[in-house]
Amino acid sequence: MSDRLSRLLGRGGLLLPLLLLCALPFYLDAFWLRIGLFSMAAAIGAIGLGLLSGSAGQLSLGHAFFLAVGAYGYVWLAGEPGPGLPPSLAALLAVLLAGAAGGLFSPVAGRVKGIYLGVATLALVFLGHHVLLTADSVTGGFNGRSVPPLELGGFTFAESDPELTLLGVPFGAEERLWYLGLVLFSVTWFTARGLLRGRPGRALVALRDSETAASVMGVHVARYRSAAFVVSSMYAGLAGVLLALSFRRVVPDYFSLALSVDYLAMIVIGGLGSVAGATAGAVFVTALPLLMTRYADQLPLVATPGSGGGSIGPTEASRYLYGAAIVVILLYAPDGLHGLARRTRARLRRRPPAAGPPPPSSPTTTAHPARAKEHTP
Amino acid sequence: MAPAALEVRGVTVRFAGLVALDDVSFTVTPGSVHAVIGPNGAGKSTCFNVLSGLYRPAAGTVRLGDAELTRLAPHRIAALGVARTFQNIVTTQGTVADNLMLGRHALSRAGFAASALRLPRAVREQRAHLARAREIAGLVGLAPHFDSPVALLSYGDRKRVELARALCLEPRVLLLDEPVAGMNAAERARMTEVVREVRAELGLSVVLVEHDMGLVMRLADEVTVLDFGRAIAHGTPDEVRRDPEVLRAYLGTTTEDAA
Repeated sequence: MSDRLSRLLGRGGLLLPLLLLCALPFYLDAFWLRIGLFSMAAAIGAIGLGLLSGSAGQLSLGHAFFLAVGAYGYVWLAGEPGPGLPPSLAALLAVLLAGAAGGLFSPVAGRVKGIYLGVATLALVFLGHHVLLTADSVTGGFNGRSVPPLELGGFTFAESDPELTLLGVPFGAEERLWYLGLVLFSVTWFTARGLLRGRPGRALVALRDSETAASVMGVHVARYRSAAFVVSSMYAGLAGVLLALSFRRVVPDYFSLALSVDYLAMIVIGGLGSVAGATAGAVFVTALPLLMTRYADQLPLVATPGSGGGSIGPTEASRYLYGAAIVVILLYAPDGLHGLARRTRARLRRRPPAAGPPPPSSPTTTAHPARAKEHTP
Repeated sequence: MAPAALEVRGVTVRFAGLVALDDVSFTVTPGSVHAVIGPNGAGKSTCFNVLSGLYRPAAGTVRLGDAELTRLAPHRIAALGVARTFQNIVTTQGTVADNLMLGRHALSRAGFAASALRLPRAVREQRAHLARAREIAGLVGLAPHFDSPVALLSYGDRKRVELARALCLEPRVLLLDEPVAGMNAAERARMTEVVREVRAELGLSVVLVEHDMGLVMRLADEVTVLDFGRAIAHGTPDEVRRDPEVLRAYLGTTTEDAA
C-alpha cells in the first residue's frame, strides 16, 4: 500500500514539472522560450552523450559531428536543393542517418577506448567541419542553409499556417516548437531511463567498470561498445534536428570542437551516468551565456554588448563563470549536480523534522523517500 | 542444463618465453568440487583465465561436455554455463541487485529497443529475472543487502556479491578464484558453508583456486597441484597432502619432518 503510494508520489514528482513546462508558453515571452528550447535540444544531446561517456565510459569528442549530421540531414532531406521529403519524414530519417553515421564509426568505437577513442572522434569533428564548408550543394557552404519548418499533418511549426491563438496568447514559432521540444525531450527521458535501468544499461556500466568482468558475465564487449555509439549518435541526431528547427538556419561554425566540449561539460557538471544530471547540466551550460548576455548591463564588471572598452563582454564573462563552475563542481561535487541533489535529499531526510532550521514543507519530504528509491546507475 | 565434465587436456600458455602453464591436464567430474592449488606464481589464475576464455592457450583444449571452449570468446563461454569470480573483487557500480542482474545478462534477451521503449516483454523479463536474483541473494545470505549499493558493503559481503553474481548465470561450472582470500575466520567459515550449500542445492561443478588449505581440505573432492606451470599431483585431498612432490613444492624441502 505505502509502496504504491510512494510510487504514485514519485510519478507525481515527474508529472508536476511536466505540467508546469506545458503551461510556460502562456506566460513567457519568446526570449525565455528560446532559452528553454535550446536547453531541451541540448538536454537530448547531453543525455545521448551521457549514455556513451557517462554510463559506458567511452570518451567522445565527436558529439558535434553527430549533431551536425542530424541538423544538416534534416535540412537537406526536407529542403531544396535536396529530395524535398515531407519534413516529418525527413526528421525521422535524419535521426536514423546520425545513427548510421555512428554505426559506420563503430569498427573504430568497438576497438579503441579511453583517450584514444577521444582522439579518434576528434578527427570526426574536423572532417565534418571541412565537409560542411566545402560540400556547397548539400550544406550551403560557409553561409549554411535555412531550415524548412517542420510540418505535421497540416500543422506547421512556424509563425503562421495555421494562425493560432490559444487563451488569448498568439502561438508563434517559439510556442509551437516549445511543445515539440517538450515531446521529444520526454521521449528521450523515457527511453534513456528505460535503457539505463534495463539489461543494456547494466551491460554498459559493466563495460565501463571492468571489461573483463563484463565479458565473463556474458556481455559481447565489442557489440555493446558499438551499440552505445549508435544509440548516442541517434540522440545527437535528434538534438541536431531540434536545434536546426530552433535556429531556423544551420551554419558550419556552430558545429565545431567547442560544441563537443560544451556537451562534455554538460554531462560532467550534471553528473556522469545520470539522465536527470545530463538535463540539469544541459540547462546550465545552455542558459548561462544567454542569460548573461541579456542581463549584462545589470552585472558588475560586465560591459553591455558592443560598448567596447577594456571591460569584459557578456560572452566572455559567461565563459569565465562557466569555467569557474566546472572547477568548483569538480572540486566540491565530483559527482555533479545530480550527486549534489542526491546528497542534499539524503541529508534532509535524515534530519528529524522538529530539529534544525525550518524544514522543507511536508509534501516534499513525503515525496522524497519515493524518489530516493530510484537509483541511477 | 545437464551436468557435463570439464576436461582440460594438455593446455600450454606462454607469455613471451615464460611458460605459465605447461601441458596441464585434469578433469572436473560433474557435481564435484575440484581444487587447483599451488604456490604463488604456479599458474592457477592463468589456468582460470584459460577456462573463462580470457587467454588463448598456445596448445591444448578445454572441453565442457561436447563443446570446445578453447577458441570461444569469453561471453560465449559464459553463455555455455561457465561462471567465475575474481581474486580481487570486480563489482560494478550500483546496488547488489544491479550486479546480480548483470549475472542474468546471458540468460535474458531484452535489447536496446525493447528496453528503451519498455515493451511489456522486456518489463516482464526483467521482473522474472529480478525475482530469481533475489532468490540467489537469499541463498548466499545477501537478502538484507539486496538493494544496497555495493560500495557500502563490507569486504566479505562484496566477495559474496561476486559469488552470487556468478551463480546468477545458472552455471554448470563455477570457477572460484580465492573465494576466502583476505577474510577473517568467521567470514571464511561462512563462505565455506555457502559454497557447500550452493553446490548441494544447484548441483554444479566447482573449480576452486585457494591458498587456504583448511578450506580446500574440507570442500574439495579432488585436488590438482600446480608448480611452475606443471601439474605435479592429482588426487583426493588426503592423497595430495601426503605426496612428497607437493611437500617439496610448498616447503622447498623433501625432509619428512617438514610435514
